[in-house]
Amino acid sequence: MDIFDKFSALKARSDMVKKFGPDPFGVKFDEIEHATRGRIGNRSIILAGTNNYLGLTFDPDCMDASIDAIKRHGTGTTGSRIANGSYAEHLDLEDALAKHAGMASAIVFSTGYQTNLAAIATLAGPKDVLFIDADSHACIIDGCRLSAAPTIRFRHNSPADLDKRLIRHGEIEGGIALVVIEGLYSMFGDRAPIAEFVDVCQKHGAYLYIDEAHSFGVFGPTGCGLAEEEGVLDKVDFISGTFSKSLASIGGFCLSKHKGFEITRKAMRAYMFTASPTPSNIASARAALDKIAEKPELRHNLHARAAQLHNGLAEMGYDLCAAASPIIAVRRPNELVAATEWNWLLEEGVYVNLAVPPGTPQSSSLLRISLSAAYTEDEINIILKAFKDLQGQGDVLMARVQEIMAAG
Amino acid sequence: MPEPIPAPTRAHTPEQIFDKICELLVPYNPKNHVIIRQSGIVTDLEVDSTAVFDLIMGLEDFYDISIPMEMVSDIKTVGELVVAVQQLTAE
Repeated sequence: MDIFDKFSALKARSDMVKKFGPDPFGVKFDEIEHATRGRIGNRSIILAGTNNYLGLTFDPDCMDASIDAIKRHGTGTTGSRIANGSYAEHLDLEDALAKHAGMASAIVFSTGYQTNLAAIATLAGPKDVLFIDADSHACIIDGCRLSAAPTIRFRHNSPADLDKRLIRHGEIEGGIALVVIEGLYSMFGDRAPIAEFVDVCQKHGAYLYIDEAHSFGVFGPTGCGLAEEEGVLDKVDFISGTFSKSLASIGGFCLSKHKGFEITRKAMRAYMFTASPTPSNIASARAALDKIAEKPELRHNLHARAAQLHNGLAEMGYDLCAAASPIIAVRRPNELVAATEWNWLLEEGVYVNLAVPPGTPQSSSLLRISLSAAYTEDEINIILKAFKDLQGQGDVLMARVQEIMAAG
Repeated sequence: MPEPIPAPTRAHTPEQIFDKICELLVPYNPKNHVIIRQSGIVTDLEVDSTAVFDLIMGLEDFYDISIPMEMVSDIKTVGELVVAVQQLTAE
């Protein structure tokens, strides 16, 4: 028995996808030239799958802040905040995030994944019950698995189904209900009806936790996310997010309207037993937060480009998974077709994400695009032309799929 | 969203629960694998891990029960799912 035998089915599937070209889940970029362009070998690639929503990865102020932080504090923190202390910049960023969202408490984490893992696993104790959306991200599911609380799933984006399941469960003796949803869902790019979820939570006295990883910086008058856009931010108990998308860094945060959230720093294992975010990551995230506050035009351009791309793809007849948003998912008939098309697009100089089951809702195979405020109208037209040309390749690509399948 | 199905009023035998599970498995079993009690839901019937939870929500609605996620993680076969539903409907 080999220790890797248990992965044989996964390996067979991975090997099959690789017969169509480069590994879609192991793309190597030789250089990232700016927010919307990378290079593979000698080819310039338009980046249409990076979650770089505001295009701030090359913003001069964010880069300077990061460089300055390295010069003043070094490259790493080499330890956790509990054991090795915080840097003033950690606290300053927490203070800025809390103030920006009008929340009482903020805690930053080393990654977005760790944020939900730590917060959900700790906030829900053994007498509590977690209610999570059926399409929850892996870090929410893993947070639930680490928690001592039972977890009930409700149908995706359905406040009525949540209401039904809260009623069905009945009174929670000695504990609370914690409802977890996302603002914008990462695969289909569909929005949660947050105000309706707030109503259901208030009716049942449940706490509401919203992961705004893909919506913070992107929606709302001041960029706080979809809860702000729907005018209910002050009714949400917890907002989590990431630095690795609109904030163009790496790390995560959880905000709460409850001052009591502070004590969980001393209970969240994924916060306590991991190294704190590096000075450079904290500094660039802090600078990017200022951009979110000061430059609403970034959001405006992002949504205009998203509408342009969504409309163009819809006019071509593509099956799109949701209304226009900075995430646009094109549904394909199956994994092999999607992989073949993904390769063809990359050869044509357009990088999108290939998303396949089980990481996708409804077992869908998707060509997933994430937009950036850094795109020009012309760049969106380049992406649209590639998708138009792709339609003309249908027979050739299907023949390629059949040829590879026949060769085993 | 599918219309909710009213919960049946009579007791549920293992055979009835098995038949219901087979019925709910239809959309997740495009290769028409033969379903027996010993069938591994993921291993034999090739239902992906996300679809398993969709199947579970269908059972929760039909029987008006809650099947917590951690319980689902321990259920590997159709027969084990029958037993879990029978226990929860008896509570």
